[in-house]
Parts: sequence; structure tokens; C-alpha cells
Amino acid sequence: MLYLPFATPPKTLDPAISYGTADTVVTNKVFDTLLEYHYVKRPYELVPSMARTIPSAQRLQDGGVRYRFELHPDMWFEGDPCFSLSGQSAGPDGLPRRRVTAADFVFEIQRVADPLLASQVVETFARLRGFSEFRKRLDERRRDPAFARLRVEQQYRAAGEFEGARALDDHTLEITLTEAYPQILYWFAMPVTTPVPWEAAAYYTGENGRPPLTEYTVSTGPYVLTSYDKQARMVLSRNPQWWGLQHEREHLFPDVTGLPEVGDLLASVGKSLPFVDRIEYRREQESIPAFSKFLQGYYDMSGISRESFDKVVREGGLSEEMKQKGMSLSRSVEPGVYYIAFNLEDAVVGSKAGDRSRLLRQAMSLVIDVKEYLRLFANGRGVPAHSPIPPGLFGYDAAYKNPFRTPNLERARALLVEAGYPGGIDPSTKQPLHLTFDVADTTAEGQVRYMFWVNQWRKLGLNVELAATNYNQFYAKMLKGSYQIYTWGWMADYPDPENFMFLLTTKMAHSVSGGPNNANFKNAEFDALFEQMRNRDNDAERARLIKAMLAILERERPWIELFYPEDYALVHGWLKNVRTVGLSTVCTAKYYDLDAAARARARAAWNKPIYWPAWLVLAALVLSIVPAVLTYRRERS
Amino acid sequence: MLAYLVRRSAYGLFVVLGVIFFLFVLFFTVASPDDIARQAVGPKAMPEVIQQWKVNHGYHLPVWPGAGHLSDNLLVDHVQRMIAMDFGKSDADGVVIWERIRQGMWPSFFLTLPMFVIGMVASILTSLFVAFFRETYLDRWVVALSVLAMSIPTLLYIIFGQFIVGTLLRWFPVSGFDADPAVILRFLTLPVLIGVVSGLGSSVRFFRTVFLEEIHRDYVRTARAKGASEMRVMFYHVLRNSLVPILTQVVMEIPFLFTGSLLLEAGFGIPGLGAATFEAISANDFSTLRAMVFLGSLMFIVGQVLTDIGYTLVDPRIRLDA
Amino acid sequence: MMELSNSPSAQAMLSNGIVVSLLALGGLAARAVLRNELWRAAFARVLGLRRWSIVVLSLYVAVALLDSVVWVGGSMQSEDQVASFEARSVIDRLFVDTTEKGYSAPMARVEFYDKSPLLHPQRHLLGTNILGQDVLYVTLKGARVALLIGGLTSLITIPLALFFGMTAGYFGRRWDDLVFFVMSTLASMPGILLLIVLIMVLGKSTVSVCVALGVTSWVGFCRLSRGETLKLREMDYVSAARSLGVSHGKILLRHILPNLMHLVIITFVLLFSGLVLAEATLAWLGIGVDGSWGQMIAVAKDELSRDPVVWWNIVPAGAALFGLLLSVNLIGDALRDVLDPRTWGSQD
Repeated sequence: MLYLPFATPPKTLDPAISYGTADTVVTNKVFDTLLEYHYVKRPYELVPSMARTIPSAQRLQDGGVRYRFELHPDMWFEGDPCFSLSGQSAGPDGLPRRRVTAADFVFEIQRVADPLLASQVVETFARLRGFSEFRKRLDERRRDPAFARLRVEQQYRAAGEFEGARALDDHTLEITLTEAYPQILYWFAMPVTTPVPWEAAAYYTGENGRPPLTEYTVSTGPYVLTSYDKQARMVLSRNPQWWGLQHEREHLFPDVTGLPEVGDLLASVGKSLPFVDRIEYRREQESIPAFSKFLQGYYDMSGISRESFDKVVREGGLSEEMKQKGMSLSRSVEPGVYYIAFNLEDAVVGSKAGDRSRLLRQAMSLVIDVKEYLRLFANGRGVPAHSPIPPGLFGYDAAYKNPFRTPNLERARALLVEAGYPGGIDPSTKQPLHLTFDVADTTAEGQVRYMFWVNQWRKLGLNVELAATNYNQFYAKMLKGSYQIYTWGWMADYPDPENFMFLLTTKMAHSVSGGPNNANFKNAEFDALFEQMRNRDNDAERARLIKAMLAILERERPWIELFYPEDYALVHGWLKNVRTVGLSTVCTAKYYDLDAAARARARAAWNKPIYWPAWLVLAALVLSIVPAVLTYRRERS
Repeated sequence: MLAYLVRRSAYGLFVVLGVIFFLFVLFFTVASPDDIARQAVGPKAMPEVIQQWKVNHGYHLPVWPGAGHLSDNLLVDHVQRMIAMDFGKSDADGVVIWERIRQGMWPSFFLTLPMFVIGMVASILTSLFVAFFRETYLDRWVVALSVLAMSIPTLLYIIFGQFIVGTLLRWFPVSGFDADPAVILRFLTLPVLIGVVSGLGSSVRFFRTVFLEEIHRDYVRTARAKGASEMRVMFYHVLRNSLVPILTQVVMEIPFLFTGSLLLEAGFGIPGLGAATFEAISANDFSTLRAMVFLGSLMFIVGQVLTDIGYTLVDPRIRLDA
Repeated sequence: MMELSNSPSAQAMLSNGIVVSLLALGGLAARAVLRNELWRAAFARVLGLRRWSIVVLSLYVAVALLDSVVWVGGSMQSEDQVASFEARSVIDRLFVDTTEKGYSAPMARVEFYDKSPLLHPQRHLLGTNILGQDVLYVTLKGARVALLIGGLTSLITIPLALFFGMTAGYFGRRWDDLVFFVMSTLASMPGILLLIVLIMVLGKSTVSVCVALGVTSWVGFCRLSRGETLKLREMDYVSAARSLGVSHGKILLRHILPNLMHLVIITFVLLFSGLVLAEATLAWLGIGVDGSWGQMIAVAKDELSRDPVVWWNIVPAGAALFGLLLSVNLIGDALRDVLDPRTWGSQD
């Protein structure tokens, strides 16, 4: 049994709606997908899972692209009462069950299209042919109350099929896109495309005392959710009906011979997964008590909080104390980037002010020292970023040094003079130039971090005011466009540079379409390069295009790229086969192996309480009462 | 007597309505439903997703009653729901709030009930003890200690308590909770202990003053003259006649038993109602906060009505006045 | 104070103006008290009983006042080019140019973690925090915040509660019913929850925290003054004044109000400590006022778990908070004993 802590409860377990990292602790283990990522290979590589092979793109006459997935035969959903709706017979555990078919994948995609579910990835799947029309049809027909009373799968059937997702037969799924989008394959490695049985959606509606699908799962993965109290405890148990057990050749521990740093994994190659019977997640809202429990052996794996870091890590490796306890350190750079951005629609820092504001942005970018920030606030965990593309992705160049991201106070001051703000003074007011840094975090801890950036700009003489509001007011500011500088982060949906560069295209600009380009960066040259690069294979031409795009970003500075986060995980000696994968949708737990006997021994050895102070306090209390009793006795006689 | 009961209960109901209206004004006129929706759905959502969320949670109606929608507005909806105690779903994660309450009620109870009982007993006994030994060094020390104890904020108690007892001495786990009866005591002991200790200062001072008031009354002198032992005087006469202020204190604590201690639960990771409220704060989950405030108020008002009626039973003087 | 105006010189004028008016108010109050023999005797007694507490409290007040006297201009700080354009107080100027790069232990020569030499070795009595600020400096600045919260809120809450309580008790009937109803409604809502909700709704600025604290604390004193007024209304001299035709207003001001003053003073002191404590709780929950000791504690609480322990952030803030609360509580107790031995328990 594996014990792990969790801080934030999952928001929803419904794969069509789920989009946060808190949900994935459960969803990545219970929901299997057509494809998955190779556990060890970097850069990230897709391998087949529920599909037999990774399909190749078939170009169509009308510019569309088609993929055909062949499913394994004999894959089953876990046994569940909901299958009584279709009259299924009972499986080995006494509950009705049925096989997975291609239609179940289509059903899930229809759910993503369903306006009632308010899925957040609709834009991505709108590329499927007929998806948006299906969505509209469904919405319109729902206006008829008779239609709205139909069961959900009947509604979808009545609204009609669409070409984008079709089940050619029980074991063949055909996906048709309106345009080339090779990254769609990555989406088929995420829980949002897991097969969902229509019986589950029809049965688990939240009515009649049954939980809704946001709180309940009917799944196909290596684990099933057996206990779900998301405020306190979540338990996942091995799924005895997992299709991966039958398809031994496909679901064994991958062959990693020849890959770097795989010494500890070789013993497990070819063995049947998963190794661990049960996984129990316990709620730990505070990181420090969670870490203490980890040190005592009550949790098997843990992140490292800022406070405990120096005790645990010395000079890039484990400290002696930790090594003696038999622990190992697992490190990886996550595919994400944190940045400070300017609102280019703003009058002072935006493109309307032309060269003046560009020089200002360059100066502000030049003075930011990320290494110092990481040292103070993240124990040095993080790789200073020179471009939006993180390591591990095509287009990342470790040798590239952005000239505006290497701190140089003198040069920054000179740029300010050139910009017309000598010493940071705004000549029109004779006061330091006043800018606002808008943040959505009002906690004191957050404030301390933002003040670090503010202090760096104050060295230039710029009076940057920290405007911390709650999230609603922050968002309102975003909507109105009344913000100047803000900070944000983006974690990759999938490991392709397109998933980062699209954040800076005009189509995605907030002022244009309400999209995630909050910097409102609108550069025609950049857009043109993006169109050429986004669907290309990873060849030399693509690398060239990306370099050209980075050169534009370097000059225009819509973002001050801060760092790529690094994930450190401490693992006890009795837990084996651990690798950190930066994408939260990957199920790593099915590869872990646990030596429970070693753990029990360690726990007993490490936890012996200290009792003597209690006796001391008790003695003191007794002693202090004695004079009072004596006085009383004396007074009575 | 019956007339008083009816009148008192009716007034209580009136106050409940006042609370409902106050909550409505507070919640709906300052934070717009759009804000709440956006907070819940996330930054990448499109306007139609926001609208759908509002419909799903019942926030799409107009706020005040007006022409054409006298009964189809948020005010009427809110009043109806509060009266029926239908709190709906959480704004943050869509869980039915009663479910959350049902789940969180027990951990909170396991924490607050022992804390309350032990705290009451400890402070009453200590105060009686101190009143017994009045004017001696013991009395002075205890009073001084009480004022000292009162001046330490609860959060410092929690921080240092955890540090000393949990980290240095390793007697108890520093935080966490497991409802399994075999281990539940291990997790509850430290928070209950800290909760009792942090409240002891002000309680002891309060009860001490109450008891000292009583001790100087005529009937105590009479009892002593009749030859009653000091112990009997304290425990039987003084305690009984101090029931009224003690009862008031007890009633004031009742809502706390249910809403749980925010600080203790947050600091010790106990998944009770206090922790739920704490999360609702960080998540800007107004519907949960609304439910918690309303429940707390309801408990308090019911407790007050019951106390007033209880007073008439305990103290005949009051009955005559009523 | 920052939210009320943008220009630093306007801020400076506002802050200095408030200091001057507070001092003037204090002076006037002292004069009024010293004129009255009874009051003078009472305060002399309290002074005797609680000399040390009064000294300590005066220290806090002095630090807060020093931190409120601000003006623009002065020397440039080498690292912070903007500071000389802002309104800085006496305390700010005492600690000009004392920032390090990160943590350092009290009176240390080197930085705590990477052992690089400090810019001002052995100059930091209490060490520095994560941003390199001198901890003594940050702690001193917290005095102003604490006194602002306790003092300002009390100054607003008590007159309001007094007004409603007095008028409700005196005039009775409908007005009394209304006031009593509003009081019951507010009092039935769990205090801390109501406080939290109010702040979430009103925003996190100092003013809104003061308003929220005020709304949740006026009921206690209102009830008390109402009760006292009810008793005073039945007194002989009040009936006599009525029969003589003295107006209600004069009766309230001349006869009722002076007899409530002792309650006002006791309440002011006790409310003060309650408010500071409440703000500390809010800071722990993440919605406190910037720069308060409660916030320092909340931010630094995790530092106790570091190895080696970083104690110099949380201990001064905790000690300062404790010192203020203890001295105020002791003075409040003494005042209560001296001014009104009968008033017990109803304030807690």
C-alpha cells in the first residue's frame, strides 16, 4: 500500500470537465487512453496504449486530416451497477460489466461538445469536423422540453453524428480534423479522451441518491477509485479486470535497456504492471506537517518545502542525513514557464508608445535577476528562462542567451535614458515613473515574492506599485484592459512548442478574442512565422522558424521570461522505479514498486517519543499544589 | 408562561429573517454573480461557459424584485432557500453543501465537544479552586497567569504548541486526522489540548469574578454560619447560584460547536466545518460561507431562545418579570 | 492611509495632520480629566497600580507616532531610487540603507544561507528577513498598524455604539425596538465568520478591515450603554430635570453621558486588545492588514521548521504583540477595578 499526501482536493473527476492538476492524481490512474507517454524517454515520446499502434495522418482531398485508431479486443470497463441499464451480465466481482468499444470514445468526445458540461477544451476539439455544428444542434434541440427530458445518450443520438469522431465498428475509431494539427495525438494521451460508457453518464446524474460523474468514476485503468472522501482521504485499488493484464505484451514494464540512467529500473523490465496493490492519498493542507510525516516514514514520497530544503539537499545532492535514511532524490525540469508580462494595449508600456515603451520594457527586463529570486524563494529550484520554450521540447536551445535576460543594471539605466526616463523619472511629472503591477494574490506570502520584483525595478528609479486584489477584481481588470504589468505561468498541455508560441499570437489576444494572450502581443511577422511552424514536423526548417520568432520576442519584450520550474521529489528507499514526469496527466504510479517490510522496519526505528518532560511538568504541578493544601489544613485547624 | 414562550420564539424567528436579509445584501449586492462564476470556472473560460455555470448554480436571475419578475429573482430565491435550508452547491467545486456539512460535522464535533467539555470543567474547577483560596498567593498567581494567557493570540498557541509538543517532543502527530477509532485520540489530543489551554485564561477570569460575586452574598454567610463545610458551600450553593451566567456562556459557545474552530482546524489539518470555511475563504466560495454564517446564526438564535426559556425555569425571579 | 491620495506630499500632510489632531485630542482629554477631582484621583490610583504597563504602552504609542510623522525628500538610498520621492517617517529614516540581500541572523557578519559577507555586518540587532529588511525596523513599523487598528476602530465604534445605545435606552419604544432588533441580528452571527465575510466583500484595505472590525464589535458596548441608560433613566435627578422642562438632548449630554464615561474608558481599553487580537487572527487566515505583527507571524510561522531554525522573525513579532496585549489588558483590568468594581463579566 502506497501512502501519499495531497493538499488540494480534486475539483471534479469528470474527464470531460477536469482541467486542473489537483484532479489528475485520481484521473491519471483510473482513466486509460488510446496513447500514452513513454515513462523514461526524453524528449517525450508517445507510445500506444489502448490503441494498437499510433496512427499516421492521412491527408484528405479537402485539406482535412484523418486518423484511424485500432483498438485492442477484449478491453473491459470495471464492473458497476450502471451497466444494468443495458442489461449486462455480471463479471467476476458480481457486478455487471461490458467491453469497451470505439463508440465509448465517441461518446466522451460528444460530452466534451455538450454545452451543459462547460468543458474547457472545446476550442481544441472544435478542430474535429462537425464538432461545433453538433454542439449547436444539441443546444438548439434542448430548447424543446420534451427533448431535454430524454436520457443523455438518446439526446446525443438524436442530435446526430458528426464526421469528426466516428466508430467504424466496435474496434475502430476514426477521427477527422478540418485542418492539419499533428498535436491532436497528444490530446489522445490525456484523460479528456478516455472512453466513457453512456450507462455511467445516464446513471450517475447526482439524482436519486447517486453521485454525479464529478464525484464518481467508471473506468478502465490500472487502478479504480474505491474510496473517495476528497476532503480527507482517497483510496485507489488495483483493477483486477484491467485490460493491460490480458495484453501482457503491451502492458509490461517497458524495455528501457540502452536509455540513460535506468539502472534501478532494469530489474522490473518485462514484469506485469501495476506492482502496488493500493494507493492511499491523505489530505495534508500544511506542507510542513506533511513533510515531518514523510520523514517519519508515514508517507512514501514527498515534495520538498522551502523550509526543509537545506536539511535535505546539500550542494545539489542529498544531504548525509537523508542518505543515511536510504532516500533518493528525483529531479526534473517541468515543461512550463513563469513570466512577467506587459499589457501592450496600455498607453505607457504598450506598443502605442512605440520605441519609448519598447526601450522601457527592455530596461525592465534587463534588471530582473531570476537567480537571486530562485535562491531566496525556491532554494534554487528552477532554470532561469531565456525564452518561452522549456527544456525537453523541440526548439529549446540551452546555449541561447537572451541579451535582455542577463541582468545588467548599468545597461538598463542607459536604456532608460534613451527611452526618455532618465533615472526613472517621468519628465512630465518630475516624479519617478509610476507603474502598476497587478496580482491576484492577496496573501502575505505572495506579497513578499512580488515585492522582490518591485524592489528590482526600484533600483532603476521606477515606482512600481503592487496592486494586489482578489481574483475576481483581477479578472475584471483583465477584461477591461486596465492593467499594465502582471505575472503568469503556463504549464504545457503537451510537449510541443506550438503549445507555448500560440500564447503570443494575435488570434489569441485577449482584446481580440478573450484568449490567453493577455499581453495582447500583436505582431504580424510573428503570426506569419507561427502559421508556418505550428504544424511542421520537427525538422531544421521548424528550428529556423522558431529561432526567428524568438528573435522578435527578444526585441519586443512582451514577456519577461522568468524560469522553468524544477520538480524535486524525495523518495524513500523502499519505493522503487520512481521517475518524475512533468506532465500531470501521466500515470507514474503503475510503475512504482514497494517493499513494505523495509518500510515497517524503518518506521519502528525512527519514531520513538520523548517522555521525560511530561513527568517534569506533572511533578511541578503537584509540587505547586502542596503549599496550598498545607495552608488550607493550617487554616482549618 | 406559554405566552412568553410564543413571544420569545416569534422574536427569534424575526431575527432569523433579519439575518437572511442581511446576508443577501452582503453577498449579492457586492460581488456580482459574474465574478463568482469566473472565479469558479477558471481563466480560460469563454462567455458561454460562464453563462452556463451561472444557470447551473442559479445565479442567472435578476437580483432584486422588479416589474415582470416579482417572484423570479435572486432575493426571493435566496429567502426561500435559506428558510428551507437548501444551500445548494458550492461555488468552488459544485459539491452539494449539505454533503460537505454532513462530512465535516463529525470531525468538528470530535474536536469541539471534548474541547468545550474539558474546557468548561477545567475552568470552572480552577475558578472554584481559586475562589476557595482567594487572597492567597495561589489566587494572585492564577489571576496573573490568566491575564498572561489571555494576551497570547491563539495562533501563537498553535504555532508554539505544534513546535514543542509535536516537533521537539514528538508526543503527538503535528497535524492530520483519521476517524479510525484506534488512532483518533492521537490526532485529537494536541488540538484539544491547545484549544483548552488557549481559552482557559479568559474563562478562568470570567468564572472567578462570577464566583467571587456570589461568595460575598448573604446566603453564603448564612450557610457557613449553619455549619456547612467550605466544600459544600462552594460546590453546592455558589455553583448552583452561578448557573445563570454559566448558562449564558454555554449558549454562546453552541454555534461554535458546529461551525468548528477555524484556526484549530486549519492549523491541524482536521477536515471539519472550520476547515471547510477556511477553504471557502481562499476559494472565494460565497455560497459555502453564506451557509456557514446562516447555520451559525440559526444555532445561536435557537440557543438564545432556549436559554431565555431556561432562565425562567432556573430563576423564579425572571419568570415573574416575564 | 495610502489609498486616500496618490501624491506623497498629500499623504504626508494627511498623516502628520492626524498625528497633530490626535495629540491635540489627547491633550484636551487630559485637561478635561485633570480638572475633575474624582477622575484625577482615579487615574492616579491606576498609575500607581500599573506603572510599568503604562510605561510600556507609552513606548508603543511613541513608536507609532514617530512612524506617523512623515515628510518627503531627504537622502537617496543606494538600492532604492524611488524612496526619496516618497513620504518617509522618522523610523524609516533611522533605518535608511540597511537592506541586505536575504536572511541573516541577529548581529551576524554573514548571510544566513550562502555565507556571503553582509553589507552592514553586525548592524542588525534582530537580523534580517527574507527580503533583507532589518527585522527591528519591520517590527517597529508594526506598532503603528496595531495602534491604528485598535485605536481608530475603537474611536469610530464607541461613539456610534454609545449613540445608539443611549438613545435606544432613553427614548425607548420603536427606536429601541429597532436598535435592539439590529443588535440581535448582528450579534447572532458568529463573530469571526461575519468578520471574514465582511472583509472578503469590502476588500482588503486598512479602511475596510477597520470598518469590518467595527461592524462586528459595536454590539457589545451598545447593549451595555443601553442597559445603563435604562437604569439611569429611572434616577431621581433625571425625572426632576424632565419635570423642569429640560430638553432631551441636554439631559442626555449633561446627566446620562457623564455617568457612562467610565464604561466608555473601560470598553475602549478592552476593545482595543480584542481588536488587535482579531486582526492577528485575520492575518493568520490570510486577510489581515499589511505590515501588522499578525501578518509577520503568519508569514514566518513556517520558518520555525527550517533547519537550522529561523526564529528571529516570529519571536519579535510575537513578543511585540504579546507585550501590547498584556499591558493593555493589565491597564484595562486596573481601570475596571478602580472605576467600576461592579462591572464584571459583561464585557468578556
